[in-house]
Amino acid sequence: MKLLQRQSSWFFYFLPALIIYIVFTIFPIANSLRMSFFQGSGFNLDTFVGFENYRRLFFDPLISENFWNAFGNTWVFFLVHMLVQNTLGILFANLLLAQTGKWGSFYRTMIFLPSTLAILVTGFLWKLLLNPQWGVITMIAAAIHPELAQPWLGNSESALITISLISSWQWVGIPTMIFLASLQSIPNDLFEAAAIDGVTWWQVFWYIKLPLVRPIIGVVAILTFTGNFNAFDIVFAMAGINGGPVYSTDILGTYFYRIGIAGEHPVGIPNVGLGATVASLVFLFLFLGVMLIRVFTRERN
Amino acid sequence: MSRILQITLVVLALFFFLSAGGQEEKVTLEMGSWRTDDTEKMNEVIALFEAEYPEISVSFEPTNPPDYNASLRLRLESGTGPDIFYARSYATGVQLYEDGFMLALNDWDVLDQTYADGAQGPWTSGDGSVFAMPFLAVSHGVYYNQDIFEELNLSIPTTWDEFISVAQTIKDAGYIPVANALADQWDITEVVFMNIAPNFIGGQEGREAYDNSERTFNDEYVVSLFEAIDSLQPFLPNGYEAIGYNDSKALFQLGDAAMMFDGSWTIKEHEDAIDAFKWGIFAPPSPTDEQYITFHPDNGIAINPATDHPQEAKLFLEWLAGDAGSKAVADQLPGFFPMKSNPPVLNNAYSNEFLGLNKGRGLDVRWTWPSMMEGNPSGYQLIQEASVAVLTDRATPTEAANSFQDGLALWYAPAQ
Repeated sequence: MKLLQRQSSWFFYFLPALIIYIVFTIFPIANSLRMSFFQGSGFNLDTFVGFENYRRLFFDPLISENFWNAFGNTWVFFLVHMLVQNTLGILFANLLLAQTGKWGSFYRTMIFLPSTLAILVTGFLWKLLLNPQWGVITMIAAAIHPELAQPWLGNSESALITISLISSWQWVGIPTMIFLASLQSIPNDLFEAAAIDGVTWWQVFWYIKLPLVRPIIGVVAILTFTGNFNAFDIVFAMAGINGGPVYSTDILGTYFYRIGIAGEHPVGIPNVGLGATVASLVFLFLFLGVMLIRVFTRERN
Repeated sequence: MSRILQITLVVLALFFFLSAGGQEEKVTLEMGSWRTDDTEKMNEVIALFEAEYPEISVSFEPTNPPDYNASLRLRLESGTGPDIFYARSYATGVQLYEDGFMLALNDWDVLDQTYADGAQGPWTSGDGSVFAMPFLAVSHGVYYNQDIFEELNLSIPTTWDEFISVAQTIKDAGYIPVANALADQWDITEVVFMNIAPNFIGGQEGREAYDNSERTFNDEYVVSLFEAIDSLQPFLPNGYEAIGYNDSKALFQLGDAAMMFDGSWTIKEHEDAIDAFKWGIFAPPSPTDEQYITFHPDNGIAINPATDHPQEAKLFLEWLAGDAGSKAVADQLPGFFPMKSNPPVLNNAYSNEFLGLNKGRGLDVRWTWPSMMEGNPSGYQLIQEASVAVLTDRATPTEAANSFQDGLALWYAPAQ
């Protein structure tokens, strides 16, 4: 009896977390998967339609055009983050590693500071800076060269890149801190040995630091991937619910919100079944994507 | 210790007893709305009602406008909806009624005594049931800076050609002629396109000709309408692609922009913000000598069939429709016009200026509202995409009109 108690007692410690996880994570995901097979009026989903919602999302031109557009835009959004945010993160971490003393902590604070701002604040702040009428950036750009003073958020060619760069600016502190922590854990003797061999800074970076932080690159890639495919707020704050201009900044998050929650202005009646389908697909992408990234980084280990 | 406990219990018991007794006498009606901006003003209106009917209290609880339709539906479906609520006109309202979330008001005498059939129309379903009391209408026009017009010796344009030449003079003088812009796309759709549309298609009669298949949605009138939108391009603020509705209003309020297409709901905001110059409103310019005003039924008030207090709800609506109530509403909410057959005298000069524009001009509602909203893509969405395309040089006015026709033909019978 006593043994049994001891053996099963772990379960009682485990239970509260399990209940919370089931109620707030497993159940909503399962329910949203279920809802993706239904249609109905408003939030009252009462008609089972099988894979009809998926078919419409993929193949009905009226709906699929916006869906695939949002899907493509989300990839652009993600790739800009990988290229700019995470590359800068590695670079900053390397520079910070060399900076000890008070300047080091000053730079660290400056790089991390934007991550502490609310996304809506960042969005409105940059919108103001970029405003074609009274934005500071527009004024400076115009003083340098009149061609540079463009409505960057208003052109469908530049708006998505602009928003992705601003989001990268905001979050660059996170990968920087993660990379810095992992660089600091590399044993010093490796660097000393390299110094004795007389290798260059670049060789140290390429042959020592990079291979040793590779698993961390995987972790950062997963964080960026899940963050970006769930992103919504920065686009909502800067381009509005339609992901304007002409849906050029519409990502899966804003598309889902428009279809499944708010509905198209001005009628504003959402198609909840279709929204649940988008949500289920995003979940599926994330699941597959995370698996893939894990496989890649594990093999290298 | 036990004495303190006893006293506490007695006090608590008394408290519950008294408050329960109070609730029995006083009925509280919850009122849903999308007008978050009006909370303070509506509470003043409600205070007048409560002074007259102390046994009823009304609590005005608006929702963020873009979320209103969805959250109202969710609440009604789950049985926690407000007792009375603002009702959208036309299709959006009809849908809620048909799903059983609004009380039919046909047997209620006050309705026919106070409101003409035309006013009830926007809240009438296909089977003739009136599902909301017509409450407020909004008007549309062009706000203009009178000081700039005086300085440049300009007179108010009535035709579109005059309007363009006025805009050119203003531009040459270094001001922004038209403050409207594209970043909030509904700006160009609702306050520019729908504002001038009746002038170009010939008001209600013209609109009905489209709905009766007598005209196609890419005919010369629609093309000329998109040409008019296109002709605005040189007169919009620099970088208009990235300037939002609030920026536009600020440009006008700062005196940088001389004119702005907008609705009567902005009166209060301009009154509060503008001290430095005189301003006024003129009717949207027209390609012909016939001018129309877009006078749009905006909100009705519906009663939730599940309410515990239908009598009290009707009493409140009756008061709102009566002399005292409609006067209070009109005074508190300038730019929103009571839709009664005998409307109260307005005390706001700008509201009266808007109403004055109605004299001698035909009135119509926003083009797409009565019948082009239900399908996918909606007429609204098509007009929005086409107008933005024209203003960003991605489509010619003819292409824009064709895309409007082709998009509607996918589902709207009169366009097929």
